[in-house]
Amino acid sequence: MVELRGVRHRYDGRLVLNLDHFVVPSGAMLAVVGHNGSGKSTLLRLLALLEAPTEGDVLWDGTPVPRRPSPALRRRVTLVEQRPLLFRGTVLENIGYGLRVRGVEGSEAYKRTSEVADQLGLLSLLDRRRHELSDGEVQRVAVARALAVRPDVLLLDEPASSADRAATGALYRALSLERAERAARPLTICIASHQLEDAYRWADDIRALAEGRLSPVTPENLFRVELPSGSGDTKHARVGAIEIVVTTDRTGPVVLAVPPTDIFVSRERLPSSARNVLSGRVTRVATHRPGGGVAVTADVGVELVAIVTAAAARELALAPDAPVVFSFKASAVRVF
Amino acid sequence: MDFLAEGFRRALALLLSGDAEVFGIALLTLKIAVVATVVACGIGLPLGYFLATRRFWGRRAALTAVNTALAFPTVVVGLLVYGLLSRRGPLGGLGWLYTWQAIVIGDVLLALPIAAALSAAAVQGVDPRVRRTAETLGASRWLTAWTVAREARFALVAVITVAFGQVVAEIGAAMMLGGNIRGSTRTLTTAVALSTSQGDFGLAVSLGLLLIAIALIVNVTLQVLQGKGGG
Repeated sequence: MVELRGVRHRYDGRLVLNLDHFVVPSGAMLAVVGHNGSGKSTLLRLLALLEAPTEGDVLWDGTPVPRRPSPALRRRVTLVEQRPLLFRGTVLENIGYGLRVRGVEGSEAYKRTSEVADQLGLLSLLDRRRHELSDGEVQRVAVARALAVRPDVLLLDEPASSADRAATGALYRALSLERAERAARPLTICIASHQLEDAYRWADDIRALAEGRLSPVTPENLFRVELPSGSGDTKHARVGAIEIVVTTDRTGPVVLAVPPTDIFVSRERLPSSARNVLSGRVTRVATHRPGGGVAVTADVGVELVAIVTAAAARELALAPDAPVVFSFKASAVRVF
Repeated sequence: MDFLAEGFRRALALLLSGDAEVFGIALLTLKIAVVATVVACGIGLPLGYFLATRRFWGRRAALTAVNTALAFPTVVVGLLVYGLLSRRGPLGGLGWLYTWQAIVIGDVLLALPIAAALSAAAVQGVDPRVRRTAETLGASRWLTAWTVAREARFALVAVITVAFGQVVAEIGAAMMLGGNIRGSTRTLTTAVALSTSQGDFGLAVSLGLLLIAIALIVNVTLQVLQGKGGG
């Protein structure tokens, strides 16, 4: 288990990460979602022990990690960067890099290298060099290179950013397979992504980051708004083409968060106490989420994501382009 | 012009006849240059990597000092080492003044700032992801440095080439510290200067041609070495 406690991380005095407590449980498939600049990459670098936090502690199985972690500890975690870099040499040499530095050579190294290359569909590319690969292929080689060292914790920064849909699917299937095969010593995976659909589809648990802090909801339902001043606690916030009604005593610039599980989904307007009733069309439906939920994204003037059960999604026949109504109470909207 | 042509004819004759003294001078020059380059780069390249990758108090001042040392006049370095090695100097007991070792010390001091400053610049030019990637894949400090050096190999070979060029062509320190003693510390550059002043233009040209040939061979060898392995 990896933990961050009381972490404030600064670059040139600017606070980029502010987490009181963040836990990555052993064996979890965790997704961290957030906009660009929300602190996801910094979080992964701290978890990867590549940087020490300006303030606070990184804990590994409950023990604080020293500012200069031991090589043995560092070798238990591997990060694949958003734009990964391949070293000089062939794909085969790249995948074997982590094994060579650990002194694993010969037939054992070849066996492990070919296994991960096979899992990620790279067997035909083993002799290629970095300039002969597409961005998506480079990303897969980097993931293979990280998996080859069999880390306890694998950190992936936007693993699907340069790959097409099919390649992304193959990547996540390979990760799931790797986790299933390693039941004895579970592989913990933490993925930073701005693609919520992938996160919902593959992760067991999703955390959202906004401006360096954990946010209670996922980033698609986060809006920066200016709340008008007024005496009452009910305020109307303009978000793109629509207005969202919120209950708060705050005014001025705030972030609104609409929890996806608090959105009531129907095919037509129904009488209810909800102050926010927004009609639109479904744009995406992400199924197979572990835990049985389905993420429904709809364009209701802005893009909103709601989580419903698989049964509800079937009964309402939610599919792209279907008309849909999202309703939620003013008090469900969180303001921070 | 006749006298130039005559010089070249004499040079060719000397080189083709395998004149023992000329080749002795050439071998000594090569020995001094190789030893000085190996020592200067052996210290300078790790120093450059350290200056480029570590954050410590006084780093900027250290980089400025190294960059300033690039412009050290060779005679000043010669004078300094002369002071150290002369009989009354702190290292006088070594008895190295007017030996090839004294020239090596002077050359190392001249080539060290080149090796350190240029390799620091070369390492700073390497994508920072190289280091992070090596580290996150479990490489030790040394292996990380080796990986970075492999990525910067073109620039680092250029650094070694420049350092070698500096010491092989250097004359001020060689003259002051070696003394241009025939059969002992006479190098190609000091011999060229001497034979020119004595009016033996043919000998000077032949020694000059040898100097260029040595520089060419070493450069080609380094380029062949760096080309191995591809991109």
